[in-house]
Amino acid sequence: MRKRTLKRGLTAFWWFTLAFLYLPLAVVVLFSFNASNSAASFTGISLRWYTRLMGNEEILSAFANSMILAISSSMIALGIGCLIGYGMYRHRQRKLGWLIVLIYLPIVLPDIVFGISEMAFFVQVHRLTGLLQPGLITMIIAHVTFQIPFVALIVYSRFVGLDPTLFEAAKDLYASPTKRVIHFMLPTIKPALISAFFLSFTLSVDDFVISFFTAGPESATLPIYIWGAIKKGVSPEINAIAALMIGAVAVAAVISLMFSRRRPA
Amino acid sequence: MAYTGVTPSARSRGMVREARHLLFTVAPGASWIVIFLVLPAAYLMGVAFMTNGPYGLPQMPLSLESFRRLAGFGFLGWSPGNLYTLLRSLWQTLVSTGLVVLVAYPIAYYISTCRETWRPIMLLLVVVPSWTNQVIRTFGWMNLLAPGTPLSELAESLGLIAPNMGLYPSNFAVTLGLVYNFLPFMVLPLYAAFEKLDIAQVEAAQDLFASPVRAFWHAVFPQTLPGLLAGIVLVAIPAFGMYVIPELLGGGKGMMLGNLVANQFAGGANWPLGAAGAILMLIATFIGLFVMRRIGKRLGGGEEVVI
Amino acid sequence: MTINKTALALSIGAALLAGSVQAQENKLYLFNWTEYMDPAIIEAFEKKYDVDVVQNYFNSLPEMFAKLNAGGVSQYDIIVPSNYYVPRLIQTGLVQKLDKSKLANLDNVMAQFRDPSFDPGAEYSVPYQWGTTGIVYNTATFPDAPKSWSLLFDPEVNPDYPFALMGDGQVSMGGACAYLGHGYDCTDMNAWKQAAQLLIDTKRRDNFSGFSDGTPALQQLARGVTHVGLSYNGDYLFFKEEDPATFANLDFMIPDEGAEMWVDSMLIPSEAPNPEMAHKFIDFILDAKVGAQLSNYNYYASPNAAAVPYLDAVLTVPPVQPSEADMKRLRFTPSLEGQALQTFQQLWSEVQSR
Repeated sequence: MRKRTLKRGLTAFWWFTLAFLYLPLAVVVLFSFNASNSAASFTGISLRWYTRLMGNEEILSAFANSMILAISSSMIALGIGCLIGYGMYRHRQRKLGWLIVLIYLPIVLPDIVFGISEMAFFVQVHRLTGLLQPGLITMIIAHVTFQIPFVALIVYSRFVGLDPTLFEAAKDLYASPTKRVIHFMLPTIKPALISAFFLSFTLSVDDFVISFFTAGPESATLPIYIWGAIKKGVSPEINAIAALMIGAVAVAAVISLMFSRRRPA
Repeated sequence: MAYTGVTPSARSRGMVREARHLLFTVAPGASWIVIFLVLPAAYLMGVAFMTNGPYGLPQMPLSLESFRRLAGFGFLGWSPGNLYTLLRSLWQTLVSTGLVVLVAYPIAYYISTCRETWRPIMLLLVVVPSWTNQVIRTFGWMNLLAPGTPLSELAESLGLIAPNMGLYPSNFAVTLGLVYNFLPFMVLPLYAAFEKLDIAQVEAAQDLFASPVRAFWHAVFPQTLPGLLAGIVLVAIPAFGMYVIPELLGGGKGMMLGNLVANQFAGGANWPLGAAGAILMLIATFIGLFVMRRIGKRLGGGEEVVI
Repeated sequence: MTINKTALALSIGAALLAGSVQAQENKLYLFNWTEYMDPAIIEAFEKKYDVDVVQNYFNSLPEMFAKLNAGGVSQYDIIVPSNYYVPRLIQTGLVQKLDKSKLANLDNVMAQFRDPSFDPGAEYSVPYQWGTTGIVYNTATFPDAPKSWSLLFDPEVNPDYPFALMGDGQVSMGGACAYLGHGYDCTDMNAWKQAAQLLIDTKRRDNFSGFSDGTPALQQLARGVTHVGLSYNGDYLFFKEEDPATFANLDFMIPDEGAEMWVDSMLIPSEAPNPEMAHKFIDFILDAKVGAQLSNYNYYASPNAAAVPYLDAVLTVPPVQPSEADMKRLRFTPSLEGQALQTFQQLWSEVQSR
């Protein structure tokens, strides 16, 4: 009897928490359709904020920057992180404590310390050499830095989960190391590679603080644009961009759900 | 190991090859992190020991001035301003982490008791909001808590806030934003712990102890401790250095250490002081990690606290 | 094939390292306040000189100064700071001297702006617009608002309604100084200390909403987040024109204890990528009709004498053109240097963190 009340209470709490998690996002989406410029009252449905977005060159270029940044940094991080992940696995008997510390460093460092370190460093390098002017390049470098550990750890754990005899078998099957990589290694860790890429991509799109401190005049990303718009004074247009980004996340969630449902079969 | 019968020179050649392999796989990433993170961080530490120039940029000679400033000593004598900021950061971290635990614990348990096919979907539902950008999530709360919105009116009619003020900007809004932001970070490791829960132990405890509270305390809680600790680390460390949420929801009243540091750079005030604040944040981070590890080991629950 | 690929990879790498240097040939990077430029002027300039103008915005002068220090000095062609930041820009070497031979329209500048105290001889700066910072308040909430800083600083005048102060410390501090009777442009140590104490006490009031920058403050007022705040006369009119219904019960007021008058000027950063085009842009803004168009769009007073015949009527009356009496009480925000600046920064960070 008491068990059932507990369960019922938990169910209620679960729905309450879900409401808490989704309410702010729902409000953003709702008010992006608001006919008037008001945060307090909803006066009717209109698409005026969306049409205003369409003509906004800055938003379009911010979107392009976000994509370029996320895709290129994820690709680079995938390559580098993959190598480290494999190296860590292959040489896991050695004492690699220093490497573990190094890899965890970007994860544990607070965003803000990460961001200002990069900024101060890039400014200094630029002053001395003329290279690394703040812009997309410096942002890509910074993003790759915080993506590498996640890629490495995902790839590493995939390798650890494999049957060690597989490697012996592959050694017998393919003589050259290159062939071994192409025909055995890459196909086996493909799921890890895909999830590492998506995680890197998400981390990059999600980042604000580090991008904010390493950006240049032409490399504002969507989060930076939205931040600027909020600081300038909340306008309903922000609701519209934010709603679009929430929509993108919702689509990604549905896709990942479809994948995760297929896997157990 | 399997090298029996191989000449010493061949073995050493093998070792060289292995070393080269290690170098080839690890060097690019390791040097990337060293060049683009360790070096910049080291440079920033260096900046903390420089003098503040007249317009906020670091200057020679080296000095401990910025640490004195951080501790509150200025031209005008000692003042508790920065200390307040530090205490506020600690307090906000403590409160929000506590609240996150209170919410996440039952949620993680509930998910683990649901039907197996539902669990991934439920987890996804908890995690998805954190896929949206931090700035957007915070902006959502700005919309919800502003004066004149239903929530603010409700709080006002209940006498929780002064009339006309709204729930945002305020310290309360910052706490709420932090809880919202970090909830999934706690649910995931806790859920992992609950999933591994040894039911036999729990049932034995239920037979042993009359009260469910004691059964929980002796059988369930210790088993979830590693997940809890992992969650606390994942929540408390980023919360302590949070910048976006206090900036947007605190309205300048709820300044935290992250804002103090960022303002020195983004407001062009004092790079060395900001760098000194960053060092303080680093120290706090490492102390947090260390303490968690120690507690984790002492309590024996987790051979492997996920950090 | 492999060689080609290697060459390609190398050249991409080189291009990446060099940044967007080569792309900047035909661009002009403008770093300006938000909502401070008529898009039509930008279009006309782009057409005339076949150049692409890239605009970036700041909300406060500290933010602008920080961006310049963080590499912006070699990335922007034109910046538009206010008077009291000009001396520190000059002293830190962040801006370059103007080549006046390239500015044919320089004679259009009104006489009183030709030799400003913040830039003797106008060697570095050309005025863009000028205006005042005053109190904007809700007339429904405060039907008998006094023409005074007490609306912000006296808890008895406003015990209940949320209000905001200016994020730029020097303006908020100046207001506190004026309220205390030391004058808006006080720099005296004791006056500052009292003002800082007043600000700390004010921050502790229940209905203090926060610090906000001038333009966002108006949005907060419009949305009812605050009922009193600090903003600029032109921005106030600009938004009022855009949304007359909401702004009907918001009013702009210059306190009798004195307030800020400012001049925003165009300057060229010392390592600007395209100084040639920057001079052309400054000269373009100095044109009589363009200058008038700018002011008509922004609702700010023009420092351009030749533009006067083309100005809208609204620009000749308060609040754009303050009344004779108000004009006498307006002051420049003092430009701080060296020790005074450091002291001020400490006081201000004290105010912020308490």
